[in-house]
Amino acid sequence: MIAQQLLNGLIVGGVYALFALGFTLVFGIQKILNLAHGAIFTVGAFVSWYVVSLGLPLLLGILASIVVCGLLSMLVEFVCFSRLRKTGDEEFGAIISSIGAGLVIMTVVQRLSNTRVLRFPFETFPVRIYEFAGLRITLLQLFMVGCAALLVLALYILIYRTSFGRRIRAVTDNERASTLVAINPNATYRQVYFISGALAGVAGVLVGLAFSSIHFAMGEPYLLFAFVIVILGGLGSILGATIAALLFGMMQTLTIAFLPSGLTNTIIFLALFLILMVRPNGLFGKEAAGALRGRR
Amino acid sequence: MTELVLENVGKTFGGVVASENVNIRVPAGRITGLIGPNGAGKTTIVNMITGMLALSSGRITFGDTDLTTMMPHRIAEAGLARTFQNIRLLKDASILENVMIGFHMAERSTLLSALFRLPGAAKETRDTRAAAMALLDRFGMTHLRDHPAGSLSYGHQRRVEMMRALAADPQLLLLDEPVAGMNEAESAELARIFRELTDEGRAILLIEHDMRFVTDLCHHVYVLDGGKVISEGRPADVLADPVVVTAYLGESIDAA
Amino acid sequence: MSDFIFNYIPVFDLFLLHLGFAFSQYIALRSGVFSLATAAFAGIGAYTAGILSVKLGLPSPVGIAAGVVLGTAAALFLSLPLSKLRGVYQAIATVAFVQIVVSLNIYLEGLTGGAMGLNGIPHTVGTPVLFVAAAGVAYMMWAINRTRLGRTFDVIREDEAVAVSLGVPMARYQTLGFALSGGIAGLFGGLEAHHTYALEPNQFGFTFLIAILSYVVLGGRSSVLGPIVGTAVLIALPEIARPLDENRVLVYGLLLILVINFLPRGIADTAIDRLRLRRVARSGSAPAKAGKAVET
Repeated sequence: MIAQQLLNGLIVGGVYALFALGFTLVFGIQKILNLAHGAIFTVGAFVSWYVVSLGLPLLLGILASIVVCGLLSMLVEFVCFSRLRKTGDEEFGAIISSIGAGLVIMTVVQRLSNTRVLRFPFETFPVRIYEFAGLRITLLQLFMVGCAALLVLALYILIYRTSFGRRIRAVTDNERASTLVAINPNATYRQVYFISGALAGVAGVLVGLAFSSIHFAMGEPYLLFAFVIVILGGLGSILGATIAALLFGMMQTLTIAFLPSGLTNTIIFLALFLILMVRPNGLFGKEAAGALRGRR
Repeated sequence: MTELVLENVGKTFGGVVASENVNIRVPAGRITGLIGPNGAGKTTIVNMITGMLALSSGRITFGDTDLTTMMPHRIAEAGLARTFQNIRLLKDASILENVMIGFHMAERSTLLSALFRLPGAAKETRDTRAAAMALLDRFGMTHLRDHPAGSLSYGHQRRVEMMRALAADPQLLLLDEPVAGMNEAESAELARIFRELTDEGRAILLIEHDMRFVTDLCHHVYVLDGGKVISEGRPADVLADPVVVTAYLGESIDAA
Repeated sequence: MSDFIFNYIPVFDLFLLHLGFAFSQYIALRSGVFSLATAAFAGIGAYTAGILSVKLGLPSPVGIAAGVVLGTAAALFLSLPLSKLRGVYQAIATVAFVQIVVSLNIYLEGLTGGAMGLNGIPHTVGTPVLFVAAAGVAYMMWAINRTRLGRTFDVIREDEAVAVSLGVPMARYQTLGFALSGGIAGLFGGLEAHHTYALEPNQFGFTFLIAILSYVVLGGRSSVLGPIVGTAVLIALPEIARPLDENRVLVYGLLLILVINFLPRGIADTAIDRLRLRRVARSGSAPAKAGKAVET
């Protein structure tokens, strides 16, 4: 029973990882919390649903979600953040601005969908259940794990094994220094935003498939969960977010399975609060959060 | 007389040595200079004195008070005030408001009287305003009192910072490049004010790039390079010191 | 004419209530705490007043006073850990706190009525009481701005390094600002409970948080007029034009993006600055900007 729950948690955690990685990536390079990330995730689910409802294959839908969400994320950067970064008030400003963008995107989605709750057609994904060592796993779950693993792996290769990744890491470390070695940080930013949005989009599709409940406000809880995950993993840390997402997925399924239903969220956010108090830079972080307060 | 004393002060960041075995005395009634080429470690010293950075070794005392592990605001309470190299004023607030902020420690109205603006708090604000006006007068800036700080010239902004620092009636003033961006006449005027301040018994620690200004004004100069004091003494002697000349090679000595 | 006034009394009441919450948000930001906890304190105040009245039959002033006390206490309790955090970390921690309060209000069914909400709260608060409360808090905010407290808050918010160099014990002042924020939100939470008969846990969630934050961002975060103008505009907008009401969320979103990008100090503060500049210009002495005020 516990093993089954842990497996389920791990699968959900993989999807959370996709969502949280995009969120933490943006924070890593710009110290910006993009609160429109949840709305972009929602758009991902809707785009795929639309493509599938036209009778086209799911894979095409996912591809469409990647492109649309990536571009949407770049648009959010352009409209909400590019100006603020010039004036230097991005910490407070970006939160406000991206809340605004989230509200706008959500309303547009709400209008287009007439506030309906949608679900993928039943035959979108064949229902098949496999048993292995007493554990049950569906084909859909396998697909989710596959997608998540593939994308996380691709992201790692991109960041740690390519020149593009070196640019991202250079910009993350120090914007001024990176311009000295002829990196155009703005181009790098735009690419990172595309990746961030694309990951959120895929996460949206997978969540839409798994829980067959696609509606305009579906992103909000995931955004809140992403807070927990990125803090747990250390804001801006890619490896941290991945591990934290898996841990979070398991913790969540366990609390849902074994604790009174209403208490899950209380526990999750209490945990977030406690982590912030004890280890504000995450379980794997090193330095203290923020700048000086006094003698340090 | 209170004197600021740095004893064998050192600071390392990770493995990098930023300051090593620094010994500096800043006596009351005198102007002490701290000079050195860019990256010599002047800012590190300033940050350690003001409590923004923890010391790796050594200790700092001010009269009978040990500042070594004190929180920054307690150090200010002990009688140290400072200005900043990169001017830090409330740009949208007026000159007068900026100076009034400096009176924080002189003001004692209770929370309750502030919340309900009882007569005591109102009177205190009037007194603070009057005291701030007196400072503005001393620095010849009364006519600019309502201007937003951000709209003033560099030289004027530096003077506002000095007034704000002086508002707390400090025993020691730490001035980080106070004449940068000022013209000849302006810096001469400041030099006069500095002498007045030391005549009142205050100590001044002057961190400067402008060598001529330092030579004219300081009683005693410390030269910092690579985190160490490489020379100290009367300004004329220090400038003639071959070690100092070598340290400044490649950098223009006369930045004015 | 009397008909006209009668029609608008509910809107005016709403304005007064939300003005109180806006002041709670304002004073936290004013003291340099990036808090979004007003929603949580409001929820605490409202449920305290509601429960004491419905379950224990206590008179409403007692319940409301208890709400103030609990709101303040919660803020004091929170301020300890919060003072160790900065910027976005404070924002996330306070959002977590909001979620904790919401989910506890749902979970503690016996006490709070759970997801169904708390009903049958005696309606004892009308326009006059709300007006007196809002005016009192406005006066308090004005008084703060007029005394050393206001000046100290200004310097803490603008530049922490300068604040400590002037001998300001920052943690103490931020605790004070945060406690005031908690007390004010607790008060208006209690007033809301006795003004609307019923409470519902999600009422004090993310949506509430965004609305309150919008008021302060739109109006301005410095002068007392800021929250007043911001709340008035956003409450009045949907009343002036029906289409705006139907698109309320969209309007909020667009306004947030536009204001933070193009009027970052908000309507009231920008207007006050303009007026002052004009007065200074008219008084003769032009600023001596001799073309050398170049920032390093």
